[in-house]
Amino acid sequence: MPSRASALNTYRQDERLGYKLLTPEERIRLLKPYLPPPPSRSRSKSRTELSRAREEKKAKLGVRRFLRRQYHVLVFAVIHIFFSVYIRLRQAYNAVVNRIYSIYYHHHRTPELIRRDVKGLRRLPKHLSVILTLEDQRHSGAGLERLINEVTDVAAWCASAGIPQLSIYEKTGILKGYIKDTHEAISQKLHFYFGPNCPSMSLGAPHIPALESSVSSDGTDMINGSSSDEDEGEPRQHISIMLISAEDGRDSMVDLTKTLAEMSQRKKLNSADITTELVDAELTESVMSEPDLLILFGPHVELAGYPPWQIRLTEIFHVRDNQGVGYQVFYRGLRKFAQAQMRKGR
Amino acid sequence: MSDLYLSRIRSWFLSSPPAEWALQRLRSALIGALSQGPIPRHVAFEMDGNRRYARSHKIETIEGHSLGFEALARVLEVCYRCGVKVVTVYAFSLENFHRPKYEVDGLMQLAKVKLEQLIQHGELLDRYGASVRVLGRLDLIPPDVLEVVERAVATTQDNTECVLNICFPYTSREEMTTAIRTTVEVYSTTPRPHSTPFSQNRITQKILSKQGGSSNPLESISESPSPSPSSSPSLLHSDDQDDAVSTATTLHSDSTAVKNGGDQEETVAIYPNVETITSDTIEKHLYTAGCPPLDIFVRTSGVERLSDFMLWQCHQDTHIFFLKCFWPEFDLWNFLPVLVEWQWRQKQKARDETPRKRVKQA
Repeated sequence: MPSRASALNTYRQDERLGYKLLTPEERIRLLKPYLPPPPSRSRSKSRTELSRAREEKKAKLGVRRFLRRQYHVLVFAVIHIFFSVYIRLRQAYNAVVNRIYSIYYHHHRTPELIRRDVKGLRRLPKHLSVILTLEDQRHSGAGLERLINEVTDVAAWCASAGIPQLSIYEKTGILKGYIKDTHEAISQKLHFYFGPNCPSMSLGAPHIPALESSVSSDGTDMINGSSSDEDEGEPRQHISIMLISAEDGRDSMVDLTKTLAEMSQRKKLNSADITTELVDAELTESVMSEPDLLILFGPHVELAGYPPWQIRLTEIFHVRDNQGVGYQVFYRGLRKFAQAQMRKGR
Repeated sequence: MSDLYLSRIRSWFLSSPPAEWALQRLRSALIGALSQGPIPRHVAFEMDGNRRYARSHKIETIEGHSLGFEALARVLEVCYRCGVKVVTVYAFSLENFHRPKYEVDGLMQLAKVKLEQLIQHGELLDRYGASVRVLGRLDLIPPDVLEVVERAVATTQDNTECVLNICFPYTSREEMTTAIRTTVEVYSTTPRPHSTPFSQNRITQKILSKQGGSSNPLESISESPSPSPSSSPSLLHSDDQDDAVSTATTLHSDSTAVKNGGDQEETVAIYPNVETITSDTIEKHLYTAGCPPLDIFVRTSGVERLSDFMLWQCHQDTHIFFLKCFWPEFDLWNFLPVLVEWQWRQKQKARDETPRKRVKQA
């Protein structure tokens, strides 16, 4: 039996020579030692003369199989013990790193600091999306308050960084019921961050008209005089925020299918006209466009029902083992996005 | 310089028989051990990084793809020996047609040759009980390759143990659009009117005669047109009114009111109700219909994007892993942490859910 390395060598040589070195039979012979035993199905079909001999063998095999199984269970346990130690260490390490990051990058609720952080980045996403989770569903009051607080934080960071479009995904869609309160909370937070020259903001959701904010427009700012290099007479910023939930994912596609099916039944539409462009246009119109960057604040990547059509080319960012919404995650996401784009361009 | 020597010594050591034997033992022990825990039923791989690997190792792009194929074979072995039921791999995107022609041709040839070899030793897949399916726009595959693809699919279709889905010219948006289109087509074709030995005409006449309405002049009219179920739908389709459904219903109500439209009642275009369309309906028309839900999504080469692969399948509770290594380097050693972490998370999830249940019971 040739060794694995030499077999691999032969295989590669055969490939390089355009599969002329080996005949099919030789190739099969090359592979044979590495194949698993034939499945039991074919064994049961075998002739009866062999069956007795096999049965005797089976008894021995049974012990052997049992031992092998015990051995595997043992190895499994060992792997998992090591892994749980490893993951605890990793979580602890990441928690410390995240803590350090969050001290190092802190916004201190001043847009100027955030703007300074962002300034070095080569490019910013035009449309940022985040996934937030409603925790503790039993006492929904506390959970909701926390969620709204997180929404206002993210909105304020985005406004400071100059990202014009933000979509906030929350699975249950509870925020859509409190759109007015959320709007109020966000504009308060923006006021708190920006003071007099607060950016204008609109908050909406698919199928719900957007709430516009019209904060005192004539906020001739003193801040502008002191730090003129940051916003040199540029027009007032605007940020549009979109609240989306699980129903804007699959369900919106189902609704679209229903509409299309009805149109087709009424002979208003030929099914051949249903193209990717049509579906894309419809979903973009009624839900939202494709975000450039998606930031997850959870410990691992799980999309939890995020609209499938829209995440096609979205850069997905998460910080391993991170818990909770933090500015450092947001900033690192932006930084990663800038770097990723650079590499793509090369 | 010393790097080169080190790597040479390393490869020499690893290819020496005792080391090789030990490694093989270790592999099978690990695989056997992994299959003691929960095992994902459906795993998807986005095989990214063949070109970058080739560039960084200064070899031809096509050779990079060949090494990628070897990695695929290794991973498939691991998956099937662990007990994964379905493996889906992203072999070729519709966007890849925009790549240089020689590369596209090379990839097509690679696919052709590998599938041909697969057919030649059909035993290989039989041993694993694996069947091959090719998902995507088959009409865009060159005819010579398509022929091999079809042969490979046909020869392995009786294997039921596990499935290898090869997404050949595929994008997820195209898949979803196709699913929507098929659903629409299904919902806008009339189910064939089932033939019964009972004629609705005769029944109406009986009723009419019982009611003593034999003096009804309409009865003679209703008898004259011969009911022809096969021709009437086309009549209805050619109807220049654009509102077929409402026509159907008005016809229906008219016929019951006047009691002479018995012949039309049989052939009214009754479409399935669109309100019965659910996400399951669409899912049934996806390429991956019938596959268990996707448990693990792996993308190599450090790019953290889905890139139009398995969007519908992975956006719910699939665990998505983005790995740094290039695909040709991918092996059990990269896959092991993924699997173990997944198993660990499953355990955590189960642990989180049990206390909640206890609370509910209390």
